[in-house]
Amino acid sequence: MKVTITDQDEITVVEVSGDIDSKTAPEFERNAKVAMDKSKHIVIDLTDVGFMSSAGLRVLLMVYRNIRSQEGKVVLVGVSEEIQDVMSTTGFINFFTIVEKPEDGVAFLKQD
Amino acid sequence: MMESKSFPGNVDSLDSLREYVGERAQQAGLAKKPTYALKLAVDEIATNIILYGYQEAGLEADFTVLSEITEQALIVILEDIAAPFDPLARELPDSGDLTKSLEDREIGGLGIYLTINGVDEFSYEYLNGKNRNKFVMKIAST
Repeated sequence: MKVTITDQDEITVVEVSGDIDSKTAPEFERNAKVAMDKSKHIVIDLTDVGFMSSAGLRVLLMVYRNIRSQEGKVVLVGVSEEIQDVMSTTGFINFFTIVEKPEDGVAFLKQD
Repeated sequence: MMESKSFPGNVDSLDSLREYVGERAQQAGLAKKPTYALKLAVDEIATNIILYGYQEAGLEADFTVLSEITEQALIVILEDIAAPFDPLARELPDSGDLTKSLEDREIGGLGIYLTINGVDEFSYEYLNGKNRNKFVMKIAST
């Protein structure tokens, strides 16, 4: 798994590629924290993530709580059908905005 | 015929474990979604074995994947030599827990919930000094 962080104006984009499991989730978490320290508007791009276990859900939970506490916003991009199924089964999906393309995520965060 | 493959009991094995399960699923002719669900289930249980059964207990050991493709199903069994641990013994999140706001909920038990929810049958037994976690995926008849 690889994580890249880029800034676009007031928005920080976290791009993940590879699988998120209990080996790689700590690295994902570390990068998500770095991004949230930079900005309270976060895009997490999961377009190149083929697999995510509950270890990844834990990171998303941490992100959600952190963003809520600083009244920020988070958007998930390119979430595969299988990962959306998992988010749906666990009731995570209702708490996240999911869009298809990174630019949609940036546009959503720039709305207000 | 039962096939057997062992993996070192650390998180570096998860990647190759999922790949192996994916190969077996392909051989069994499982579709994309059930294949993903099985990979996820096996990953979740293997993670528990590695982190809690082995690492937390200071145990360095392998775990074994036994698998068999029959006409009706793909059967996968994870065998480990950690202390007896029945994943079904702990309380699982119920529908009330799963609709709670993410701010209020307990995060425990999600992995086992996904496991049980994702496979057609899941069972556990402790036999001859080994934990045996068994996953069954039915093969759709054509």
